[in-house]
Amino acid sequence: MKMIVAIIRPERLEAVQEALAKHEICLMTASDVRGCGRQRGFKENFRGSEGVIRLLSKVKLEIAVNENFVQPAIKSIIEAAQSGKIGDGKIFVLPLEECYRIRTGETGSVAIGP
Amino acid sequence: MKLLSRLPEYDGGRLTFSARLSRLGVRLRDPEWRKYGMTLMLGKMLGLAILLLGILAFSLWLKSGHAYADPTPATPAVTQPATTQAAVPATPAPLTGTDIINPLNTVWTLIAAFLVFGMQVGFTMLEAGFCRSRETVNVLVECVFDTCLCGFLYYAWGYAFMFGAGNGFIGWHDPTANADGSFTSWFFLAGVKATSTYAATGVPVLAHWLFQFAFADCASTICSGTMIGRTAFWGDILYSVCVSGFIYPILGHWCWGPDGFLYTMGTPSTDGTWRFLSGMGMNFHDFAGSTVVHSIGGWIALAGGIWLGPRLGRKFKRDGGGPMLPHDLTIAVCGGLLLWFGWYGFNPGSTLSAMDYGGIGRVAANTTLAACTAGMAAVFVMYFRVGKWDAGSITNGFLAGLVAITCPCYWVSPAGACALGAIAGVIVIFAADLLEHLRIDDPVGAWPVHGVCGIWGTLSLGLFASGEYAAAGSSNTGIPAIDASNPALTGLFYGGGITVLKAQIIGSLIICGSTFVVAMTMFGVLNALKLLRISHDGELEGMDLHEHGISAYPEYVISALAAPHGMPRDTVNYTPPVLASEKVAGVVLK
Repeated sequence: MKMIVAIIRPERLEAVQEALAKHEICLMTASDVRGCGRQRGFKENFRGSEGVIRLLSKVKLEIAVNENFVQPAIKSIIEAAQSGKIGDGKIFVLPLEECYRIRTGETGSVAIGP
Repeated sequence: MKLLSRLPEYDGGRLTFSARLSRLGVRLRDPEWRKYGMTLMLGKMLGLAILLLGILAFSLWLKSGHAYADPTPATPAVTQPATTQAAVPATPAPLTGTDIINPLNTVWTLIAAFLVFGMQVGFTMLEAGFCRSRETVNVLVECVFDTCLCGFLYYAWGYAFMFGAGNGFIGWHDPTANADGSFTSWFFLAGVKATSTYAATGVPVLAHWLFQFAFADCASTICSGTMIGRTAFWGDILYSVCVSGFIYPILGHWCWGPDGFLYTMGTPSTDGTWRFLSGMGMNFHDFAGSTVVHSIGGWIALAGGIWLGPRLGRKFKRDGGGPMLPHDLTIAVCGGLLLWFGWYGFNPGSTLSAMDYGGIGRVAANTTLAACTAGMAAVFVMYFRVGKWDAGSITNGFLAGLVAITCPCYWVSPAGACALGAIAGVIVIFAADLLEHLRIDDPVGAWPVHGVCGIWGTLSLGLFASGEYAAAGSSNTGIPAIDASNPALTGLFYGGGITVLKAQIIGSLIICGSTFVVAMTMFGVLNALKLLRISHDGELEGMDLHEHGISAYPEYVISALAAPHGMPRDTVNYTPPVLASEKVAGVVLK
């Protein structure tokens, strides 16, 4: 079991979801996040004064998958989220110790779901 | 560089003010620098002299405008009775009719003008609410800029084009001749005298100008609704100049100008000048501007939407998508209601006469009823289709009813207003469907509401005109009497035949067609010059950040602007924190 954490451009969310659905990966948590990488944020202007906002809007996806889904998931996220420019985001793959489904109490790879 | 290197403060161009001063001191001691300085000063002085000459010429020109306007200075005895009155305390002369009527009508017109100006708030809120938050600042700035620009252009030449007399296609001078038979030009409103009133209304020209400016501003703001989220700001400025400076005033002149060819059509002229369709026996009627304001705005909007193309990522219904979601329905619906409120200036104010009290009462009631039935019709159509009581549909629904009643409001009965409003509410939903089918992105629905229902409202007069109210519209002295010289306007459903309907169809067709052709050309040229649409990267970044440098809700992002900034870290008394891991390793981070 792995936890895939992907940080992507907000406008690519739908494309990534579609690509993942092709590999039957439909369960995920998505959140609006702010972060910075090499893009280094943007500037805001108000009545002539300038403020640097060192954070950019991104979408964070957290997807728990079984081992045989890890490579397809990563591949489809990269394919769908890549624009080739700075700011495309990152994917982190973490080991996942345990997983419970609250409704049934199932554990392990069954609980992760389809 | 040799000179500069003498200064210890020089660090590659970035100097403090005091360093600049001392640099100036060094330079002034050097003859070569002094020569440069003198040359520079000479250039600046030349520029200043040219500027001063320009200002002088401009003020002289303004003065000459007034001299032209007022060729025979009024004798003090006529205009300035104050001194004589002080000397001889006589009883004041009894008030005559116009002493009461004109001020009353002027106050009414101005109240209406203020209400119509309030519609700008409504438009701005409606558009801001219906767009995404990433393009909200753009909507706000655009609407305000349009207003400012329109005000100036309407003063400079728009009003002269529209309400000046000239020929059937364009105007430029006061319709009332001066004493010596000459006409005063209205460009820059230079010839307007203290006592100038607009034609027979008795309303001062400047009050009439303000009222009509508010109308022109509505037309120009309507266009921006369809073009939200992808129009570059320079493109917006340029098309606004065309719309509020040329398209709206010139086409408006055709319908509302004192000698516009649609206004005078249908009757043979008495002085042998050309008249449009002089044998038809009916002229084109547009009481408050279903065609003039709303159709013109709506059809320009459609042309803009076609040339711009949809916003990035907009998928249409037939491609498995739908409209992009609005970001604040509270603002949008309240903006719509504010527009409704402003419409009480738009329609009843178009009588330009408070003396026609029957007229303003009827117009206000009709306006309300059409909006009520239209809102209900639209929301029910949507409910029967999708099973939800849709907020966007009811808002655009009642707006469609208001647009439709704008043209016929004076000549229909309350029952007719209810009927034509309800039909407008249905039409607007299907017009929006058509737009979706044609893959044209219209974030606020400006074309379905203003373009299509503007046409419907104009035509509906030919069907619903009830045959009880004077065809010539309101009078500035009272409720106009119906007689042979001023017949009533009767539509098809009230036994009047198709004469009115025919005139309305011809007028609407000519105005909408010309608007669309001119607007397509204008946007085509702007598009070819690459000024119309924002760059791809700019659109991805969002209109607000790219064009205006700020998001609409900057506090909602983790923002440097929200914090008390301009407070540098205390570097003198600062010791960096020592992390637990660093303590173990015995390393302190500098």
